Amino acid sequence: MTEIKKEEITKYIVISSDKVLPADAAMKIYESEFPVTVKETCFGLIVTGFREDVMAVVEKIRQLDKNHIFIKDRGFPAGDARRCRASRGGGPRPGFHFLREEVEMLPAIGAALDELEANKPLKKETKEKSRLKVSDLEKIIEAELSR
Amino acid sequence: MSAEDSGLVKIALVSCGSEYAGVQPEFDEAAAKVNAKFVYPEIDVASIDTIGKDFGLEVASGDLRLMMARAKAVVEGIANVDGVFITTCFRCAEGAIVRNEVRRYIHRHANIPVISYSFTESTTAGTLLTRLEALTTVVRRRHLLAREVQKGLTAGIDSGSTTTKAVIMKDNKIIGKGWVPTTKVLESAEEAYSQALKEAGVPREEVQAMGTTGYGRFLIGNHFKAQLVQEEITVNSKGAVYLADRQRGPATVIDIGGMDNKAISVEDGIPGMFTMGGICAGASGRFFEMISKRLGVDITELGDLAVKGMHENVSMNSYCIVFGTQSLVNSLAKGATPEDVAAAACYSVVEQIYEQQLQEVDVKEPLILVGGSSLIAGVPKALGELLKINVLVPENSHLIGAVGAALLASGYVEE
Amino acid sequence: MAKVFIYPINSLILSDLVERFGHKPLTMMNQIREKVTSISLDSPPINITSEDPKAGLKYAAIEVPAGVRGRMSLIGPLIEETEAAIIVENPPTNFGCVGCNRTNELTKYLVRSKNVPILEVKYPESEEEARDFVSKIAEFLESLPKEKSEEDEKAIEEKTTEMEDKK
Repeated sequence: MTEIKKEEITKYIVISSDKVLPADAAMKIYESEFPVTVKETCFGLIVTGFREDVMAVVEKIRQLDKNHIFIKDRGFPAGDARRCRASRGGGPRPGFHFLREEVEMLPAIGAALDELEANKPLKKETKEKSRLKVSDLEKIIEAELSR
Repeated sequence: MSAEDSGLVKIALVSCGSEYAGVQPEFDEAAAKVNAKFVYPEIDVASIDTIGKDFGLEVASGDLRLMMARAKAVVEGIANVDGVFITTCFRCAEGAIVRNEVRRYIHRHANIPVISYSFTESTTAGTLLTRLEALTTVVRRRHLLAREVQKGLTAGIDSGSTTTKAVIMKDNKIIGKGWVPTTKVLESAEEAYSQALKEAGVPREEVQAMGTTGYGRFLIGNHFKAQLVQEEITVNSKGAVYLADRQRGPATVIDIGGMDNKAISVEDGIPGMFTMGGICAGASGRFFEMISKRLGVDITELGDLAVKGMHENVSMNSYCIVFGTQSLVNSLAKGATPEDVAAAACYSVVEQIYEQQLQEVDVKEPLILVGGSSLIAGVPKALGELLKINVLVPENSHLIGAVGAALLASGYVEE
Repeated sequence: MAKVFIYPINSLILSDLVERFGHKPLTMMNQIREKVTSISLDSPPINITSEDPKAGLKYAAIEVPAGVRGRMSLIGPLIEETEAAIIVENPPTNFGCVGCNRTNELTKYLVRSKNVPILEVKYPESEEEARDFVSKIAEFLESLPKEKSEEDEKAIEEKTTEMEDKK
């Protein structure tokens, strides 16, 4: 592994909360005076800094609404020119589309985490759909045709 | 290159992951050399989910779907680009299907030049340079490439690795030709040019514009102060459809030169996908020279000999210029006729082109065969048999580069 | 704490859940970070050079395209570290590091061939399915050893055999 003097990492904080807005979270970080770089995005925040600082910051933000704030690592530091839309000539970076899809699912995931926390009984498995047997299909076809 | 030609060209990179194959820096380096920049078309994110059905091609890989979405963005004008470079991994079937269909789609629906290529981790900026040069040429000199008729009095010189060709054209006719072996690039060019001028009966000063192409194009272009200095993919595509009188629609150009060969997929005279060989002399004019020598005939007689022979009567174990020649000689010793040997030599060359060059270029009719080797009658015959297609060899097919250059140079003739 | 391989390998939801339940997600993001913050290299955008597809030969032969081998040079080392895995079926859009389905097929195959506990779930399409999705993942993650010790290693093995038996 490449050792840079003190390891810098970057994390995405994706906020899917009714209580906390990205701007509030950013403010919270500025107030905390941790030496990290914060960038607000449409989904939440990108935080870059030394590992311990970033870990402490994201944990603090997560606790603001823990089942509705989600964290993921990011390979590139915030605002890296190699991934920046402006410098790479338009078009979002490849990971953006998947993130967008996942973000749409977050309210449901958050609700599920709430339920899990409230110790609701586990949801029974729904029966899996499977392909119709050929013999069954044949019967249906015959029935349909004889009408 | 004139000042009006030198602006930055924006090329949409439509790729399934060149950045994961280690070739992206090579792409960027080649683009910078021709003053071009790759951009990534902005897409309508919602279109991603339905792009397979919209485009009509459903594939499993997300990045290939992204390629279709980006092509759509280019066609619909959402992305403002000058050209498109479509590229996928070499040896990926799914990628090859998408690459070809996306190229056709853009060509059909947008008036934007497209080049496609399949890369490996060993692809270098040098390999890409000719392709990007061809692409940026189409962007910068579109008005030139649209030319279907030669005007005025122009000259074209093709400084090839084996022979140097020159033509003088006047009012859409070839009036002088020169063809000499390449020894020293400049001297050979002078000689070929002088021959052509002499045949045409015009003094040098009256020539209104000149175009140069081939390996020595920069050197001779500079020497003769040519208006147009152009790589051979663009020039030969144009020259082939002009000579064959198939300027509109699709065509496939196969050029077997003295040292290398090319297969180019052409649409309206503009090159799309192409492959260039050059690693093996066994698939070039040089191979025919050696065989002629061993058979004790002049290279101009080899073709007629080959047409009378049956390649099936000779077994060749290798395409190699050394081992292949050896097995032909051995078969002579075993009683094969010179006719059969000549036919086998022709078949060997086209078979190698089929296996190496045509792997990435789809063969659309008409198939136009050009280059010096096209004059060896056994070659078009063998190619036609192998591809089960009618092969067109236009008149003056060996002068392809010089004719293309003279034709394109007439764009510089003041009216 | 178990090292949990996730598929899709760049998933926000999966890497968050794994971490939330006290384990370490093995993600592409960390591999990319290692690449792009390495100061000795400059091969933009993600510092993959022609050497990487060669490193990928460990996972796929030369006849497999360079893009697959280049991606495998990042994913392969993660598979080697894998102690447990969550594989999500039919995830929505997949681009970039997961944009090549041939790579994804090989990745999943190599993970499944490892003798580790694996949870395979479908990507949720409704709130109800999301509930099911989260509870299955939670249950799976709870079952993995929290502290790593020799006993836990054995437990993983037992769990694996148990799961194998179920199949």
